[in-house]
Amino acid sequence: MENINEKFATIEKDLLAPVKWGKKSIIWMGFLMVTLVVCMFFYYQQIRNGLGVTGLNDFVSWGIYISNFVFFVAASLIGMLISSVLGLAGSKWIMPISRIAEIIAVSFAMVAGLIIISDMGRPDRLHHVFLHGRIQSPIIWDIAIVLTYVAVSVLLLYVPLIPDIALLSKKQNGLPRIQKWMYKILSLGWANHPNQYKLIKKYFKLLAVLIIPIALAIHTVTSWLFAMTLRAGWDSPIFGPYFVSGAFVAGCAAVTIGMYFFRTSYNLKSYITDYHFDKMGKLLVLVALVYVYFNINEIIVPAYKLKGGEAEHLKSMLFGHDALMFWLVQIGGLVLPFILLLFKKMRKPLPSLIISSVILLGAWFKRYLIVVPVQQHPYYPIQNVPDSFMHYTPTIAEIAITVASFVLFLIIATVLSKIFPIIPIWELKEEVKEQIQ
Amino acid sequence: MNKKFYILFTLVCLSFSLIAQESWEVIAEENDNLSIIMFDEELELSGQIIYDNSCKSCHGNPEKADFSKMLPEPGDIASESFQNQTDGSLHYKIRIGRGAMPKFEDALDSEEVWNLVAYIRSFNKNYIQKKPNLEGIVIPKFSLALSFDENIDKLVVKTIGDDNNPMSEVELKAYIKGSFGNYLLGKTLTNEMGIGYFNVDAKMPGDAEGKLEVIVKARKGYGSAKTMQKMIMVQPSTFESAIKGRHLWSTAKQAPIWLKVTFFFTIISIWLMILYVVFGLKKLKKYS
Amino acid sequence: MGNKEKGKQSRRKFLQNIGVAGVGAISAPAILFTACSSSSDKKTKVLTPDNKLIEIDSENGLAIDTTDKSYLNKIGREGIPGKKFVMVIDLGKCRNERKCMKACQSEHQLKPEQHHLNVLEMENPSSGQTYFMPKLCQHCDNPPCVTVCPVDATFKRQDGIVLVDNERCIGCRFCIAACPYSARTFNWTEPRDSEEYKDITYNMELNVPQKKGTVTKCAFSADRIREGKLPYCNSACPNGVYYFGDANEDLVTNGTTKETVRLSKLLKQNSAYTLMPELGTQPSVYYLPARENS
Repeated sequence: MENINEKFATIEKDLLAPVKWGKKSIIWMGFLMVTLVVCMFFYYQQIRNGLGVTGLNDFVSWGIYISNFVFFVAASLIGMLISSVLGLAGSKWIMPISRIAEIIAVSFAMVAGLIIISDMGRPDRLHHVFLHGRIQSPIIWDIAIVLTYVAVSVLLLYVPLIPDIALLSKKQNGLPRIQKWMYKILSLGWANHPNQYKLIKKYFKLLAVLIIPIALAIHTVTSWLFAMTLRAGWDSPIFGPYFVSGAFVAGCAAVTIGMYFFRTSYNLKSYITDYHFDKMGKLLVLVALVYVYFNINEIIVPAYKLKGGEAEHLKSMLFGHDALMFWLVQIGGLVLPFILLLFKKMRKPLPSLIISSVILLGAWFKRYLIVVPVQQHPYYPIQNVPDSFMHYTPTIAEIAITVASFVLFLIIATVLSKIFPIIPIWELKEEVKEQIQ
Repeated sequence: MNKKFYILFTLVCLSFSLIAQESWEVIAEENDNLSIIMFDEELELSGQIIYDNSCKSCHGNPEKADFSKMLPEPGDIASESFQNQTDGSLHYKIRIGRGAMPKFEDALDSEEVWNLVAYIRSFNKNYIQKKPNLEGIVIPKFSLALSFDENIDKLVVKTIGDDNNPMSEVELKAYIKGSFGNYLLGKTLTNEMGIGYFNVDAKMPGDAEGKLEVIVKARKGYGSAKTMQKMIMVQPSTFESAIKGRHLWSTAKQAPIWLKVTFFFTIISIWLMILYVVFGLKKLKKYS
Repeated sequence: MGNKEKGKQSRRKFLQNIGVAGVGAISAPAILFTACSSSSDKKTKVLTPDNKLIEIDSENGLAIDTTDKSYLNKIGREGIPGKKFVMVIDLGKCRNERKCMKACQSEHQLKPEQHHLNVLEMENPSSGQTYFMPKLCQHCDNPPCVTVCPVDATFKRQDGIVLVDNERCIGCRFCIAACPYSARTFNWTEPRDSEEYKDITYNMELNVPQKKGTVTKCAFSADRIREGKLPYCNSACPNGVYYFGDANEDLVTNGTTKETVRLSKLLKQNSAYTLMPELGTQPSVYYLPARENS
């Protein structure tokens, strides 16, 4: 019994330590804020001068905003895979990283909604969506499902947080008053009563089940923004599962990167261990394998037939204008990392970090390749327009606004990880208890 | 070499076009044809409207010489080459057309063409309208009576002179009125009974009662008559609105029922579950 | 068209005092339900929303009250009952004169790179011969752009015309992505001459004034056909390429020659086709194929 209390004390000490605003974190937040302000200046320009500040044109009318949106939605799916699917399946190893996955999911999902607004020509008319919404439009489905997904993700993050918030409210000192007050409200009168545990476990299970169809829906609907059109290259019935499988690859890579940074900067080496990296590496291999399979289907089937409009698009992708990016993404960003991860040594933390970063970068460009090149090959030739309409090159303003979305993501993720323990304390305690018994 | 060839080619084309312009001969009778109505501002204005609609696309703005680059050149109506022609010649050329110049005979009636001539003349300060010598010429007066013979699907036009006798040898043109122009049913001369027949395609869509709006224009010498009448001539047709029914492309109000049900059922049930959890969390307080 | 009023001709001075029977009967061509413009002055008769006929000043030739926005929006969304507008484009006659493009751009306040109507140079894959193809919104009967619009900003009317309401449009550009004909264009920056147009009441059927951050496209000149006139592009064509009319009447009128022909016959005799019928969009624009060596 002595032993267990000692262990609990160490856990609490280790895991509550990062929940405060240290010098480092203030500098980091300051840096993020300054970057955000600089980037927002470009958004101000876009509001004032119109979308003309971007490289978009009448032919490529969806550019990196939309591909970035798809990327963000994709990366946000990971919370569902790790906490829900694996959690419900009884995988124990996900426990210390489940909150990281949830924080990443919530942050990506929240920012995704904002990215869509940055792509609107008339953001001042956002309310039209609610006043005049047409439920036949996949955009309306997307908005409804993104809002729902954010709500469920937040709850999925919050419900298992309640005991830890109560702990913070009781034990953490030296915090601003407002933060203490916030903990008190959010702890909902938590008193470690067994019935309370029963209740949150019940709700967590319900949410974990609920989020699976919603998460599948959010990314399937996002893929339908493309698949529901008649454009050659988008007009594909496997876009839904193709996107979902790709989402898991991007999400696993994002979680691996997150794990590495939280582990080093929050001193959690004894909680997030090589074992977890090894497991994540294996998970990444599995999801990458599924994704490679969908990629083969998506490319080989039309490439075999070379049907009308698709031929031109595929040729430019495989050998033409977009070939370099395409092969870098497919080989460098997917196949090669997949092969490397088959080796145990490559699943150690640092190699994992590097491989995951490459995968994540590849995943971003993959979304670009899905969104942009198709529009450069419309059914009817591009004529009587300036040469700049022939190809799409993002402008600095556009890149800055895209960077802003990442900065915003980092801000949300940092804040969440700074006010809440990144590893579920009570669950860890329960596990320790079980082990001893 | 190439350049020389090009110049030569242009010259040949140019000379052809000049020759072509020169050689558009108008038979004497038409050349001397004159309007029996005095050109005035009113006529000019109606002519201008017709000009803007039907002629401007090639001949451009008068006095600006901004006509289309075509061969032969359409020319500016204010230019000398136009103004040097007789009224009758202009009238004839507009009616009959040649090459790229459309034949307007079936689209515009004789008076409308005179209005155009009046408009063309308004750019010539020195123009003095020539008056036709109408002495000794009898201007026929007649009226038109329309009926439809459904046994033979023919429109029957009867011309009756002011002496109540049928008038023969009257040129008749019958049209079906359309939204943007009139469809020529045919041209004919009245027989000795003063009757002209026009075939009507029974498959032509009419209105809800099977009515079509018929326009008949008649001319004999300087005399002319016109009449317009709605008559039952074809099978009644019903026109469906292009947006009838519920489709994926309909407005929000007309969205397909199955979609509405699925969408709202899904969203509402998910949010009910979310609310269930949110309000359920209140129960935590009970145990504290 | 000079919609001369009854009795107008009786005021004309005849050279000799002779009556011409029948003259002065009706010679007015098509009038749709709103306008009855007289030829002699700058006044125009219009039907107000409460069905009263009033006369308004129409210096710019517009025959409907262009200041009443709610009325313009109402008629713009409703369309003209009993009609189904179609266009026929005779590729054999197109000489790439581009007068249609010019007229269209000047009427719709478009920049040189913005096209409601774009004359494309196409190549016949079998003979290698090139031909010119005016390409505009196909006003599909199964319009993919309308299907995906999230806010009813683009819609189909009862007369078959697909319009854009640029006061509703949120600028998501989903319709641009969905249109297989690339018929839509976007106001990426301030529209052309926006200062000049800023006080003009928005006319949905003309889609002017254009607004920054909204989509615009061919409207089949809905404002013109309401006055019984042919679309701007049709009237501007010097080569007789365009026919326009009402499929319910089975009549189309050539924009250049004003000749009116039976739609069904024209399509059948010239083996007309629509663009990409395999997509199932059911266009309202028909093409007559370019003939060899024409």
